[in-house]
Amino acid sequence: MFLAWSEIKRNKLRFLLITSILLLVSFLVFFLSGLAAGLANMNREAVDKWHAQAVVLTEESDKSLYQSSLDKGEADGLGAKETAVIGQMGSIADNGKVKKNVVLFGIEPEGFIMPKVSEGEVAFSVENGVIASDVLKDEGFAIGDTLELSSSDTKLEIIGFTDQARFNAAPVLYIDLDDLQHLKFGDAAEINADLVNAIVVKDTNWSKLKVPEDLEIIEVENFIKNLPGYTEQNMTLTYMIYFLFVISAAIVAIFLYVLTVQKISMFGLMKAQGISSGYLAKSVVAQTFILATIGVVVGFGLTWLAGSFLPSAVPVQFDLQTMIIYGLILITVAILGAVISVWTIIRIDPLEAIGG
Amino acid sequence: MVLELRNAKKTFGEGNTLVEALKETNFKVERGELVAVIGPSGSGKSTFLTIAGGLQAPSEGQVIINGNELSKLNEKQRSKIRLQEIGFILQASNLVPFLSVDEQLELLNKVKKGNMPNDERQQLYKDLGITKLRKSYPSDLSGGERQRVAIAKALFSNPAIILADEPTASLDSDRAFEVMELLQHETKSKQTATIVVTHDIRLIKYFDKVYRMTDGVLELDMTAYE
Ligand SMILES: Nc1ncnc2c1ncn2[C@@H]1O[C@H](COP(=O)(O)OP(=O)(O)OP(=O)(O)O)[C@@H](O)[C@H]1O
Ligand SMILES: [Mg+2]
Repeated sequence: MFLAWSEIKRNKLRFLLITSILLLVSFLVFFLSGLAAGLANMNREAVDKWHAQAVVLTEESDKSLYQSSLDKGEADGLGAKETAVIGQMGSIADNGKVKKNVVLFGIEPEGFIMPKVSEGEVAFSVENGVIASDVLKDEGFAIGDTLELSSSDTKLEIIGFTDQARFNAAPVLYIDLDDLQHLKFGDAAEINADLVNAIVVKDTNWSKLKVPEDLEIIEVENFIKNLPGYTEQNMTLTYMIYFLFVISAAIVAIFLYVLTVQKISMFGLMKAQGISSGYLAKSVVAQTFILATIGVVVGFGLTWLAGSFLPSAVPVQFDLQTMIIYGLILITVAILGAVISVWTIIRIDPLEAIGG
Repeated sequence: MVLELRNAKKTFGEGNTLVEALKETNFKVERGELVAVIGPSGSGKSTFLTIAGGLQAPSEGQVIINGNELSKLNEKQRSKIRLQEIGFILQASNLVPFLSVDEQLELLNKVKKGNMPNDERQQLYKDLGITKLRKSYPSDLSGGERQRVAIAKALFSNPAIILADEPTASLDSDRAFEVMELLQHETKSKQTATIVVTHDIRLIKYFDKVYRMTDGVLELDMTAYE
């Protein structure tokens, strides 16, 4: 540590450069991870809000809520601890000023999908009243707004807001299932009154439940993975992050190697004097650790700072645990980058450094 | 006996390109002895010194430092012997560019066993006239000052042997004499065994013994003082 730190103090500019590169890379990693989490959340938060374990869909639907259609009576046959049914419909909502792509969740008010309201009415007190995702507030929607739908002449009214309610990137409007059936089926609502998209299951032993042949029960996480675009988006960002790990390892490796090569004769002299390769190698590793840690910590702070200045439309969501893990990976990867330098130091022949 | 070479020999290459850099050599040096090795360029002086210092192994024969036969040790153990028993002074600056004079010695203090008490270190600075330079970096020092710091490093925590390869080569005569006086003083007061390789026959008056190297043959030179 003594040697490592003394050199950093003496050659500040040099080490500031490498630290600032690591800082930028870690900033990018943290930011991308925040973006990945934010984007993932846009897709899944309404599902996470169920706090359920499994979803029952039709086999034919291929795990898609949109395509699934089943009789809500099936719920009783499952024998699950707790179930709730959900009818779903996509639409464009227009309050006269703004148009917005939304998803309607038709639910039974006594079921566990019924959201906690953060503002407004706590129950479906009026016909065609909806409890809306509070992201719509930022878009210019308010309680009391009348909503025209693209797919129906029926008008809805916003009676309350709830948080954490986006599904597949669209804000959710929670509506009484009976009202939804009228919206969805029009005149045929009576006949289709029992037709819902899915049954949501709250039961930790869900995998032991028996479902009829044409239905399928899948874990919630699996259901989310099959949301359109969800997995692809996640993978893209994750690969970008992994690639940044490789890049930072390469940057550190090259930089340290250049520094080490410049110091070969000095290391050789030190080795001639009996200072062990181990001590010198440790010093390089310690140096890398110091620089990487400073870079990552400052990058972390900078990310946090940048995050607080971002408009709410940018879907970043910083998860401390993920950031800490990525930060540790960055530091580890930087230290791996020092391996070539360590190897170079070990191979230096002190005799050559001394010369004839 | 602090340092001994027994039938030590060094050859490089083979067949037509074979060079006998050091022919079979027997050599001993005692504590408190200041010894010179002189000889023309390419005669094998550095080869001799690096073998004596455990930096390279002889092709044949033995090197014994303080009772340790070097060929029986691995590189790690030899490195330890160099650290604990030998102080090297080299022609080129053997200072670490990014460490101040104080830190140069502090580094040794950290890696060497048997720390040197601070008052002894201050005395060493005083002996070498570098007390004022403690906070300076090598780039701020003159050639002579650098060499004095190098000597301080070599003497740090009292090694048994000092090996110097052309320690005065980069210095003018006055500075060279100064450095030699220092080495003489330290050899006697600290009872080290000191071997100095040099081209400079004007320095001969400082030595107890002078060896001459000719084509890899090391012989005591009786005529050197004439
Ligand atoms: N690693 C090596 N490989 C091959 N030959 C070598 C090697 N090291 C030294 N020699 C040869 O051994 C001989 C002695 O070299 P050495 O460096 O010991 O001479 P020297 O007396 O120190 O010379 P100088 O006064 O120029 O420093 C030379 O002929 C040199 O070319
Ligand atoms: Mg030489």
